[in-house]
Amino acid sequence: MLIELSGVSKIYNQGRANEVRALSDIDLTVEQGCMVCLKGPSGSGKSTLLAIIGCIFPPTSGRAAIAERQLARLPDRFLTLHRRETIGFIFQRFNILPELTVLENITLPLLPLGVPPKERRQRAQELLKRFGITHRAQFPAGQISGGELQRVAIARALINNQPIILADEPTAHLDTGLSREFMAIMLQLKEAGKTIVIASHDPLVFEHPAIDRTVTIKDGRIHVP
Amino acid sequence: MAQSNLEKQLNILDYALSSLWRHRLKSLSVLLVFAAVIFLLASFQMVTQALSDKAKQVLTHTPEITLQKMSAGRQEAIPLAYRDKLAGIFGIRRVVPRIWGYYFDEVRLANSTVMGMAVDEMPEGNRLDAALAKGAMPGPDEQGRVVVGHSITKALDLAGRTTFSLFRPDLSLKPFEVSGEFSRDTDILTNDLIVMNLADARDLFSIPAGLVTDLCVYVANPKEIDTIAKKISETLPSVRVLTRPQIQKTYQVVFGWRSGFGSICLLSALAAFVILAWDKASGLSPEERREIAILKVLGWETSDILAVRFWESVIVSGLACLVGMTAAYIHVVYCAAALFRPVLMGWSVLRPDLHLLPRMAVGDILLIFAFTVIPYLAATVIPAWRSATVPADSALGG
Repeated sequence: MLIELSGVSKIYNQGRANEVRALSDIDLTVEQGCMVCLKGPSGSGKSTLLAIIGCIFPPTSGRAAIAERQLARLPDRFLTLHRRETIGFIFQRFNILPELTVLENITLPLLPLGVPPKERRQRAQELLKRFGITHRAQFPAGQISGGELQRVAIARALINNQPIILADEPTAHLDTGLSREFMAIMLQLKEAGKTIVIASHDPLVFEHPAIDRTVTIKDGRIHVP
Repeated sequence: MAQSNLEKQLNILDYALSSLWRHRLKSLSVLLVFAAVIFLLASFQMVTQALSDKAKQVLTHTPEITLQKMSAGRQEAIPLAYRDKLAGIFGIRRVVPRIWGYYFDEVRLANSTVMGMAVDEMPEGNRLDAALAKGAMPGPDEQGRVVVGHSITKALDLAGRTTFSLFRPDLSLKPFEVSGEFSRDTDILTNDLIVMNLADARDLFSIPAGLVTDLCVYVANPKEIDTIAKKISETLPSVRVLTRPQIQKTYQVVFGWRSGFGSICLLSALAAFVILAWDKASGLSPEERREIAILKVLGWETSDILAVRFWESVIVSGLACLVGMTAAYIHVVYCAAALFRPVLMGWSVLRPDLHLLPRMAVGDILLIFAFTVIPYLAATVIPAWRSATVPADSALGG
């Protein structure tokens, strides 16, 4: 299993007056090459679950193993290092830095890895070519279309060739055409062997034929209908 | 591993440069204000250093001991006969009379220093000609001949002529002819100086025969200045004894005091700037928070983000230091420290027009660096720690 969660809970501000239980007793396994959709309304705990899978923070309790690493045993610094190697993120609204060029945005994850400029450009050019946006390489990201922005975000998630791709509400601000295009690219990535977890409450995503499994989250728990 | 670390630091430096360029208006404003503060501090440091050096250099030509008669705490003319009383003190080489005073020109509202010297009596008096740009010091028989400093030449508009007149106390005119000009290297002491022989000075100020304003004592062994000064004090208790080291020290203290006062004012400006930088660095705009959160999700560590802030601060403060110090050097050398001259040299109405050449030692550069760049780095990097700890999950939706 590439992703293996067992009895995972997450409590924010534990022991304080503003304590919030975001996740309770989550069991989830995802095999390599699968595409899973985490479905649920806003505030249901999808993003927290995605953050745990994405090694942003460990669970408060329970066992979480991502790419055969136990998160609870990893100090913050190693969580970051593990994230660099394992996880590619695609954010809601794509979170591209508008003042940087498309090429600079795509290569951002490579800077702390000490990848030399020549190699960074080479890797980015390959992805730009793959997604048909080579001509936009030197454009400020704030000046490109929504569809191109989406491809830049995907390219950035793939730049370090991580095995797991996590997408947080990727179609929340896209029209139907762009949402379909997004899912088509995800399908290609799945076929290329990537493991994909998408948090979304968009039917166009969770009803898409490429999705192997949909997990419904409600009030921090996995909801079984 | 080392190669990878180096590449990582280069990448982070590259990102810091691009970040500064992206916020170029803000970066440029900070750089200019910071450079202005450094310019003021460095100018002050350089001009004080240059003036102290110049004063030290010029004062080496002054008498080893100067005697002035005091009465009721005020200076008055000293009898020439006192020379005989000093004759018994072993180690005195020669005692030379001198008359000096201030001449106020009401037309030009300028004060100049008049000095009547017995050059022929001074040991190595002929060496004084070395301080002249042209001409020679007036001899005892050369009535009405004077040597003048640069600003006197300018103030009296002597470019086209060599004669001028000064008023005696009874308002009768005494004519003079310029026989020489002091070298610009001695400006700090000679800029407003008119030197004539003793008889002419006595005539100009109407000082009775047998009196002078001070007696210059030259000693055989400079190491014995203090001992001889003590003996003179014991022999002539009503006489003020000023030694050359004391005068040099007084100059240093005067420049040091003025410089210290100015530096305190400028350090206050620097402190205000650093507080502003701290305040700016400790607050985060929503865009900055978002950028940090995105970078952290993408695998940047807190230390990487701190490194970006550190490099940004190093670049801004380093550039500001370079610009500020270069501007200060140009200001002191080519503009004769125009901004600070009234503060540092203002004891006469005729302002010395100096050509200063600051001697910038590594220590001085490090001192300015320590007082400017290090506080700025601390004020920007320490609060950046708080901003760098923005949780990565804030880049994710709810």
